[in-house]
Amino acid sequence: MSQAASLPASQEQLGPPERLHPLYLLTGLGQSVRGAWGLMAGGAVLAAQGRWWLAILLVAGSAVFSTVALLVGWLKLEYRVGPHEIRIDSGWLSRTSRAIPFDRVTDVDLEQGPLHRLFGLARVKLETGGSAGGKAEEGVLHTISLERAEALREHIRSRRGKADPVVASVATDDEVEPIFAMDLKRVLAAGVFNFSLAVIAGLFGITQTMGDAIGFDPFERSFWVGLLTQSAPLRDTIIEHQIIAAAAGTLILLLLGIGTGVVRTLLREYGFRLDRTAAGFRRRRGLLTLTDVSIPAKRVQATILASGPVRRRFGWWELRLQSLAQDGGKGDHVVAPLAHEDEADAILGSLHWKSGVNPASWRPVSRAFVTSFVGILVPAALATIATLPFLGPVGLAWLAGAALAIAARWIDWKHTRFALEHGGLFIETGWWRHRRSMIPLIKIQSIDISESWWSRIFGICTLRLGVAGGTGFSDHHVPALSRAEAQILRAELLT
Amino acid sequence: MTAFAIPADIQPVEPSYRNALRARAAVFWVPIFIGSLILDRALLAATPFAGLIPTLVGALALSGMILAPDRIYRRLGYAIDGRLLRTVRGWLFHTDTIVPFVRVQHIDVMRGPFDKLFGTATLVVHTAGTHNSVVTLPGLSPERAAEIRDAIRSEIRADVD
Repeated sequence: MSQAASLPASQEQLGPPERLHPLYLLTGLGQSVRGAWGLMAGGAVLAAQGRWWLAILLVAGSAVFSTVALLVGWLKLEYRVGPHEIRIDSGWLSRTSRAIPFDRVTDVDLEQGPLHRLFGLARVKLETGGSAGGKAEEGVLHTISLERAEALREHIRSRRGKADPVVASVATDDEVEPIFAMDLKRVLAAGVFNFSLAVIAGLFGITQTMGDAIGFDPFERSFWVGLLTQSAPLRDTIIEHQIIAAAAGTLILLLLGIGTGVVRTLLREYGFRLDRTAAGFRRRRGLLTLTDVSIPAKRVQATILASGPVRRRFGWWELRLQSLAQDGGKGDHVVAPLAHEDEADAILGSLHWKSGVNPASWRPVSRAFVTSFVGILVPAALATIATLPFLGPVGLAWLAGAALAIAARWIDWKHTRFALEHGGLFIETGWWRHRRSMIPLIKIQSIDISESWWSRIFGICTLRLGVAGGTGFSDHHVPALSRAEAQILRAELLT
Repeated sequence: MTAFAIPADIQPVEPSYRNALRARAAVFWVPIFIGSLILDRALLAATPFAGLIPTLVGALALSGMILAPDRIYRRLGYAIDGRLLRTVRGWLFHTDTIVPFVRVQHIDVMRGPFDKLFGTATLVVHTAGTHNSVVTLPGLSPERAAEIRDAIRSEIRADVD
């Protein structure tokens, strides 16, 4: 912790004032249009009411206003680059002068939207540890030329604390073999696994509630009959069997869900390329919007390998690094969206973190992981059985669901274990959402052992680790340890 | 791998912390009790349920003001050695937290109005962790809180040098 880094306050030490690229007026326009959708909606309502003049006045007025606002914003924003800090002065009515010391900059991210790429521009984001919540725009230069952005990044990297070695020039990276890359086939495969049940459920809900109004309900015979008028035999089958219409409807929703996943993944992960630089990793990806993110190895707090039951069957894993900064406000940095185990190991190996665990050192968690869960369900299940004659099929469905939940819990338990090796804690949890995390002992900030009155009956507690970074929703913990085991593990973690 | 001993000599916090808890509970419960009385008079006076709600709320309030602080106090403890701070609290939801001094980012000693009234202070330890980044230890005497703060601070400084 080098709190004592000198902050040059005087103007002379800073470089000349610079402005954003004039094309910011163009690239920024998209943002203000997006911001003014309320006005657009208002205009549409007025137009629908036939008050055309008012509508045109409103839209034209807002267009003029946002253009002027952009122009003023551009005129009033200046940034100065010094040897140890960057100063960004912005605003007209309320003026802000923000100084960001390079010592505190964790990542320098470049992002290029379609317009940026057309004109060779880039958006620069300076991530500091303080932005962990990702709420405020800490240091964003919206549009500057790509060369200036890369020069700025080089400058910041080379000036940042003495502990960091000077990074080799970025330009030479391209000739070096990337440590991990995804071709189009791999990206599409990742997209297939990325299908979202939420989208399917949402579509199902919409077709059920509004299908009649919008004329799209693949669960209705009429939908398919209309569609298949040319093919008489198919149409007749559907008229006879409602079940086929239902099956076809399910199929269509599934396809839509997969399609959404593929498109989303393709947009985000196209041309995925991960390079190992002297100080850490450099990740480039994107189809329309290119992002270029650097992840300093020193700031990595934990590694997470995640997979689902289907993906695991194919040997696919997603590798994320929990870092001090967040990945554009979206949590951990994904460094390999879909990789084989050996590829993930290669990435982890380049961190000099050992990943293989001696099979003998795995330790299971208590069986009470399952029994404490069953204990909650059993009274409810007994009550259901007692009142089954009144509940009917609903009660049966509930019982089946409970049995399934218990089975899933048991499979989860089978897949949960932990090990302490190579100076790190390895935790594997879950079956449906399988996660293998690794936390080096020196990155552990605090240790909690917690139990509730319920878990006390079963004699188990949870050991929870405080680790920097991450989203807070996904903490690292070992569930269902006996009190003695938990205390032993805690003592071992503190060595 | 030699495991360091975890400090096991759990010390209780200041007994006057019970009074601070009682005062805090009173501030919470008295307005609710008054509210339930008004509600009872205004709406339920003519029904057979008259007096039921204030009785229930009053019983809850009394247990919250008399019994609960004692129990909270009995379950709250801390232990400290040259490297670790350990806080233990709760029964219904029991937590046992350990923070190594070298992981502490900054330390607050807080004194609210009730703390000042009853001569206690709260030690707040901030770590870099996302989960459990703020560890609080209430009910210390102000001198003891300052003492612990200085112990942690000197440890952090030793780490930086």
